[in-house]
Amino acid sequence: MTCHGANKRLTREGSGADLSIQDEALALHLAACDRCTQALRTARLSAALLGALREEIEPGPSFYLQLRERLRAAASGIGQPEAMLLQAWGYARRLVPALALGVLFLAGVTISLGGRRPPLPVEAGRGREVQAFSLEELNLPAAVEQPSQDQMLAFVLMQGEVRGSAAEVRGTRSER
Amino acid sequence: MPGAPPAPAGLSSLPDRLTRRMSDRKEDEEPAEAGREDPQREALLIEQAQRGNHEAFEALLKLHQRRIFALAGSFLRRRQDVEDLVQEVFLKAYLAIGRFRPGAPFAPWLHRIAVNACYDHLRSIRRRPEVALDDLAEREKVFLSAAGQSDDRAAARDLAERILATLSPKDRLAITLREVQGLEIAEIASVLGCTRPAAKVRLFRARRAMQAALQGLVRQEEQMAKRLRRRGRDDVSWGE
Repeated sequence: MTCHGANKRLTREGSGADLSIQDEALALHLAACDRCTQALRTARLSAALLGALREEIEPGPSFYLQLRERLRAAASGIGQPEAMLLQAWGYARRLVPALALGVLFLAGVTISLGGRRPPLPVEAGRGREVQAFSLEELNLPAAVEQPSQDQMLAFVLMQGEVRGSAAEVRGTRSER
Repeated sequence: MPGAPPAPAGLSSLPDRLTRRMSDRKEDEEPAEAGREDPQREALLIEQAQRGNHEAFEALLKLHQRRIFALAGSFLRRRQDVEDLVQEVFLKAYLAIGRFRPGAPFAPWLHRIAVNACYDHLRSIRRRPEVALDDLAEREKVFLSAAGQSDDRAAARDLAERILATLSPKDRLAITLREVQGLEIAEIASVLGCTRPAAKVRLFRARRAMQAALQGLVRQEEQMAKRLRRRGRDDVSWGE
């Protein structure tokens, strides 16, 4: 038997089992190997220590008296409505992840189906003459797919500049 | 045994382990300890406890107190601390009994609360980086040099506590549940919230860490003994 094999056996049997060495090959190896003998000693110690943790403990005479007090305090501290609230919270806590997933799903569906709203019309004019221009009226170049209101206004002003004096053209965004 | 089914391959050590665990159990164990003997009575007590009957709840706890005390006792040294922890467990159980599903087994439910409380306790205490021979009390050194053959149970418990304090809370929980409480790997995996192979690996590592810590102590103890022997020889030669 090699040290590796002996170590493996000792680690496995060191789990609290009776470590009397009955395996002849292991016994022979241990007689010749100081290191494995020490490992056996450690395994036996480990089993003895863990065994010492197995202890029967009986509650003291005042244990249940104290517990009764604490239960009474807990019962008076937590009235029926609070207890029901706690219970409701217990159930709600399980529902929260499902609800969160549902909200996320709905938000995703709304975004993917709804897309972006077309921008509102913009107003531009000369003097008192103010005109509103919607996206359809502007006839923007095809490259601009979804223009913002600022872009639309800039386009209107640019058109006005072409037609007349830029100083006389004023533009405003239409508010809802 | 005539007619007994053959043991499955790879489980040759199982009968030994089983008989060991059986012999560990006390002969005078309460029959209703796990609530198996009288499930109807237990169900009735649960029902009454859920309605707020303290006496029924106390009777229910008394059926299961032995296991819970043993569990807390394997993590805590002082009796008062054990009682405090068990009281915490029972109080938590009282506050949660309204959510207990009737018909479900009560013992694992209560045990789970106790294990969680023990785990919380382990996480709250500071982990010791290592154990040195100089830290040990005289009785613990005697136990160590006797290689565990000493009958000093208190020294053994103190030494075990020191060694286990060097492990991580999860490792300590795993090794204690397995070696002291005798839980199966599947149960440990469920408590630790991991798979069975992961629980096995954790257990193996915990054992190895514990043995490494012990080996360090044994080595230090041997070196100390050698030094003392050498000093003794020198003193003798000086005397001559």
